Amino acid sequence: MLKTEELQINIGPQHPSTHGVFRMLVTVDGETVTDLKPVFGYLHRNHEQIAEVNTYLQNMPYTDRLDYFNAMANNQAYAMAVEKMVGIEVPERAEYLRVLMVELTRILNHAGALGFLINDMGAWQTQLAFGMREREKILDLFESVSGARLMCNYFRFGGVARDLPPDFMPRLKDLLVAMPAFVDEMERLLRENEILLQRSEGIGILPKDLALAYSVTGPVLRGSGVAYDIRRAEPYSIYDRLDFDIPVGSVGDVYDRILVRIEEMRQSRRIIEQVIAQLPDAQGGHINPKARQNVRPPVGDVYARVETPKGELGFYLVSDGSSKPYRYKVRAPSFINLTPLGDMCRGYKVADMVVILGSIDIVMGEVDR
Amino acid sequence: MISSAVGCPMPNLSAEDLRTRLVRDLPGAVQSVSPLKVVPPPAQGHAPAAFVTGDTLVEAARIVDVALYLRDRLNYAYLSDICVVDYLADEIFEIVYRFYTVEGGSSLALKVRVPRENPVVPSLTAHWPGANFHEREAFDLYGIVFVGHPYLHRIYMWDEFEGFPMRKDFPRQGDKYIGEDE
Amino acid sequence: MTIEMQRGSVIVMDRRRGKLRAGQGLLQGLKVVWDHWAGSFRTNDNFSKIHGTFTVEYPDERLPMPQAYRNMPVLLFDDESGHELCTGCYQCQRICPPQVIHITQAKDPVTGKMVPAATEFIIEYDACMSCGFCAEVCPFDSIKMDHVYELSTADRVSLTMRKTQLNRPISYYTGIAPDLWAEAQAGAMKKLQGSIKRRPDVIGLAASLTEKIKARRLELAAAGQVAGGGGQEAGVAPAAPAAKLTPEEKAAKLAAMKAAKQAGGAPAPAEAPVELSPADAKAAKLAAIKAANAAKQAGAAPAEAPVELSPADAKAAKLAAIKAANAAKQAGAVPAPVEVPSTPLDAKAARLAAIKAANAAKQAAEQSNNE
Repeated sequence: MLKTEELQINIGPQHPSTHGVFRMLVTVDGETVTDLKPVFGYLHRNHEQIAEVNTYLQNMPYTDRLDYFNAMANNQAYAMAVEKMVGIEVPERAEYLRVLMVELTRILNHAGALGFLINDMGAWQTQLAFGMREREKILDLFESVSGARLMCNYFRFGGVARDLPPDFMPRLKDLLVAMPAFVDEMERLLRENEILLQRSEGIGILPKDLALAYSVTGPVLRGSGVAYDIRRAEPYSIYDRLDFDIPVGSVGDVYDRILVRIEEMRQSRRIIEQVIAQLPDAQGGHINPKARQNVRPPVGDVYARVETPKGELGFYLVSDGSSKPYRYKVRAPSFINLTPLGDMCRGYKVADMVVILGSIDIVMGEVDR
Repeated sequence: MISSAVGCPMPNLSAEDLRTRLVRDLPGAVQSVSPLKVVPPPAQGHAPAAFVTGDTLVEAARIVDVALYLRDRLNYAYLSDICVVDYLADEIFEIVYRFYTVEGGSSLALKVRVPRENPVVPSLTAHWPGANFHEREAFDLYGIVFVGHPYLHRIYMWDEFEGFPMRKDFPRQGDKYIGEDE
Repeated sequence: MTIEMQRGSVIVMDRRRGKLRAGQGLLQGLKVVWDHWAGSFRTNDNFSKIHGTFTVEYPDERLPMPQAYRNMPVLLFDDESGHELCTGCYQCQRICPPQVIHITQAKDPVTGKMVPAATEFIIEYDACMSCGFCAEVCPFDSIKMDHVYELSTADRVSLTMRKTQLNRPISYYTGIAPDLWAEAQAGAMKKLQGSIKRRPDVIGLAASLTEKIKARRLELAAAGQVAGGGGQEAGVAPAAPAAKLTPEEKAAKLAAMKAAKQAGGAPAPAEAPVELSPADAKAAKLAAIKAANAAKQAGAAPAEAPVELSPADAKAAKLAAIKAANAAKQAGAVPAPVEVPSTPLDAKAARLAAIKAANAAKQAAEQSNNE
């Protein structure tokens, strides 16, 4: 047996496979990873303190910048937290619009995330381009309703910024026609593809009990076989009126996470169809209450969380009775999902490490805050 | 075996229930809640209402015991969040631990108060590896020392950074890092 | 293995390999890529298709922007009069999350009091986060989000936009977002009508004038008591001079021309209230929503309660500050006798040359005089 020496290498912070400015301090023995420490903070802007200087409404566009893939989902969590604290009732129609936007967000996130994951495996742009094209259609819809593609800033306390424009519904219905074809095609490309199976089966296994101990959320947790989805576990908004299934994996490897994400796109489409059917009957009311520009919650604290495409996004707010939050804490899913990265990579090859990181689906805007 | 179904009606514990159980099973762990001023009272006019939390306040030294009790006896195994709040006017840091059950339902929060001069609290990382980054973040931004943490280093700021930027008394402008290069 | 739960179930993803033999999965994937390649020769013009090209060759071709698209905020002014809609109320400056809006409120050079206009309006485009809050909170629909997205410059300073660079005519905005502008108009109209209904005598009054109004109300009440049952009729006499005083002051301070319309509107409605409404409609079309309403109010009020005429007038004059020029034009076009009261006011307005609003009003007055 040859005696080998361990080597410490840095992957990142400027590396094409690190999904942003993110550094992995890897100890390798030959090609095998023996230890990995995630190093980040390159995008740190002390978001939480910026929020303490702003009024409650002024923070809404800042939440867009957390996970810039899923601005709508971030908006929802923050709006829910403030509404819970002030005690604002949201009109039914606004709730439907919110769920519609958030489920579209879930589809676009998974389309992008799977594309980047396949990109990490070396397939470069193939799946990414297909996924990005579908994502682009959804972004077009977001743009027409909220005014921006990524930094939507669409939610308001007690409603949303504006109602749907007239051309939204026809385009959304067209998109729903394309969606199953797109997901099926994606599945044909990925599932049972021998190269993908080689790269993902049995890689980055996170057993169920470890996943729970690591507090991971979202598709990573469900990929490990825990059927924990906040939309079901602690239903918020109108999710208790909607039918959808929770896909879970059985092994907890990268392949399970891929399968869970593909199925979640189907379930999101199912939810959107129900929303479209129920939307005309929903009670309207003031879906953009401009009077809520300057909320002053009573002294107290509140924690609200939603299931974003990446996992549990929670906002912990403490109010001192003024118009600015006394404490504003983001429980970011990407940040927590990174915790087990070291354990997941240990024993695998360097090339697998890149895939495992891709399967967690992180966004540095949220990790670094 | 898949963990049991989510959404099934399993009665969640209220903070009140938790307190009674803790008083019964772990005597001395629960502290009585004292109201917080949050902001210093204004020079004139009436002071805003004090903040009396409804959550369980735990003795800092007993937090590991209580957390394990939650996990092992009450099935609140999922540590979702650790958050620090700097109550400058009250001279304390409050650390909020949030636990969920995998069966679903609302959370149980444990709160720990430590003095601002000596913010030391036992670490949960040995039992919940997921607490690792939460505690490092709390150390980085607030300077809370988690005894027993395996790698208590700064997580966002660079290692040489001085001070704890999320503390309420950290200068928002004009500290030594601003204005040197520009 | 599936676990039932309310409104759905837990699906364990099937990891089994299908009936495919080794290598067939790859071929299946290749077929997908082939389909896309073959499809790329057609254009994809519809969201329901997943194959085909739907890119545009950017600098030569451009995608149409949705009306709600927001990039950077701009300020609107009235096409014909050049009157700026901004009153310098600081709402946008207050709500701006990155604090990039800086307003200097206009001051009356004679009295030194604030007037509802902005002498300078700076937006730092380089730090703007395009959230659109400023456009959302603006009570006068003065600040709107532009659709221009090609803003690259070689230096940062040129992205600090001053008022002259921010000003756009209303017609520009109606060109890029007609529906949103119609919405804004409808909203403004509704808001104004609501407040006219709610507080007909104090609407839009400057804080400094409330004392005067209060005093005059007391005076009117006293006059009404003296006159007994016919107090309503008697009230007209003291009201009329008061009505002239207040709007004059205000009009002088703001932009004079709206008062002209009021003066024109007040005598007219007795015989022809029908004629006023088309004028209203026109005014609304010209974005003189508030002014038009005020005119309507002035026209409607004397019919039922002549006592209310004076406060309504005063109010109207205040409101007119925003769209004064337009209203003046209207007034100038419809009733001829308006010109007489307008001239002294005009002279006063001229004193406030610093304020653009007044300037615009003057221009409009000149136009109406020419007519």
